[in-house]
Amino acid sequence: MKDRFDYILQALAGLLILFMVVSIFYLYVAVGRTWDLVAEALFSERVAQAIIVSVSSSTLVGLIAVAAVVPTAYVLTYKEFRFKGLLETLLIEFPQTFPPATVGLVYLLMLGPGSPINIAYTYPAILISKLYVATPFAMSFTIRRFREIHRSGLDTIARTLGCGTRHLLLWILLPLSVKDLAAGFSLTWARAMGEVAGTLIFAGAIPGLTETIPAVVLTSSSTPQVALAVSVIAAFLSIGALLFFKWIARER
Amino acid sequence: MMTELRIEEVTKRYGEVIALDRVSLNVQSEEFLVVMGPSGCGKTTLLLILLGVLKADSGHIYLDRNLIDNVSVENRNFGYVPQDFGLFPHMTAHDNIAFGLRVRNLPKADVERRVGELLSLVELQGMEQRRPAELSGGQRQRVALARAMAIQPSLLLLDEPLSNVDEATKSEIREKLKETVKRAGVTTICVLHDPGDALTLGDRIAVMYAGKILQIGTVQSLLEKPENEIVTRLLASHLFRWDERI
Repeated sequence: MKDRFDYILQALAGLLILFMVVSIFYLYVAVGRTWDLVAEALFSERVAQAIIVSVSSSTLVGLIAVAAVVPTAYVLTYKEFRFKGLLETLLIEFPQTFPPATVGLVYLLMLGPGSPINIAYTYPAILISKLYVATPFAMSFTIRRFREIHRSGLDTIARTLGCGTRHLLLWILLPLSVKDLAAGFSLTWARAMGEVAGTLIFAGAIPGLTETIPAVVLTSSSTPQVALAVSVIAAFLSIGALLFFKWIARER
Repeated sequence: MMTELRIEEVTKRYGEVIALDRVSLNVQSEEFLVVMGPSGCGKTTLLLILLGVLKADSGHIYLDRNLIDNVSVENRNFGYVPQDFGLFPHMTAHDNIAFGLRVRNLPKADVERRVGELLSLVELQGMEQRRPAELSGGQRQRVALARAMAIQPSLLLLDEPLSNVDEATKSEIREKLKETVKRAGVTTICVLHDPGDALTLGDRIAVMYAGKILQIGTVQSLLEKPENEIVTRLLASHLFRWDERI
């Protein structure tokens, strides 16, 4: 007997899949016969520099995020305190909904020209604004895994065997979380690659110093071919990197 | 190693529910004591309090006359084998057994010697490089037992050691378990719900029901003189498989 509801679900799934895939790949259709422009843009100094700034800052942000979320996930898993739920919301969900432009503005006021420490329009400014927006991805993966391990009771067994916190972290929590840390890193990296508003406000778009790939797209809207070309490069980089990270995680 | 455990009037509440109601218990050195009762009777709570994972609301626990209420889990030196054996999935059988010794920073040669002794005690020579996923239920249990005994625990706590073992090999595993523990001479508390297993394994049995210990005694004394109706029914249940209907 044909299950009609099964077909309906497949058709509905198809709609979303089509929407998501077309949204990315229309870019390549739009480029059409202007592939020579893409090549030209790729070999221009400005774009090459933007790629270096984007990839290096996103990789650094991913590494800093993974290192920083480990102690935080430990505390949120093992310590009980008041307003823990609220703190978690502030660390995980809130940064994902807070407009990145506002984040940039906050940092500009806090660490900009008017404050004792002025790092506005520098490379560290990119790292800071990306870190705030992208860390929650690493955070949610790590905390979920630590809690899973805690529920399994493996940490209790380790403790009965005389294991202190240092060995618990190094021998149990981290080795059992490798895949989740890798997944957290790759999503953090991807989010950091795409972040633009906060970075633009706090770090600006100084070619060769603070101009990232999405900043090039945004600032070259008067020459759509360049914007399009850079977008193709950005999409290609991100998809390639994400597939690579997934492959690494599966190999482990 | 001579170790005696005394549990004195231990009470634990979860909100309105009393999980343990003034439980008192003495465990002699090298004794194999079984705490038997239906699920939900408080035996797991008792185990967690002994381990130091849970804190009792009142009452005390003494080990060789020393109060240990405030000794942390890692400093109690109690071996623990949970129901699912709790082997570290990312480590080989060898590394699981060596875990407690490495935590103690023992020299490598000592770790190897001790792990070798334990592997032969639980008859798992040749299996040391296998991961938990590559071992059978019975083998996993033996690795967990060896791991718990590696630290020369003052007390060994076993939580339903036979629940994850298939019926066909159960009686053999039961015999091996008791023999191994006896040979190591370690004081043991074993929590069980099945009266058949309890009667075979325990030197003495503490019958527990609704947070209370109803009677403690040898198999013979329990069977000959059960103190009340519930004890009789709990002990008889294995004959009729009533288990959870009490």
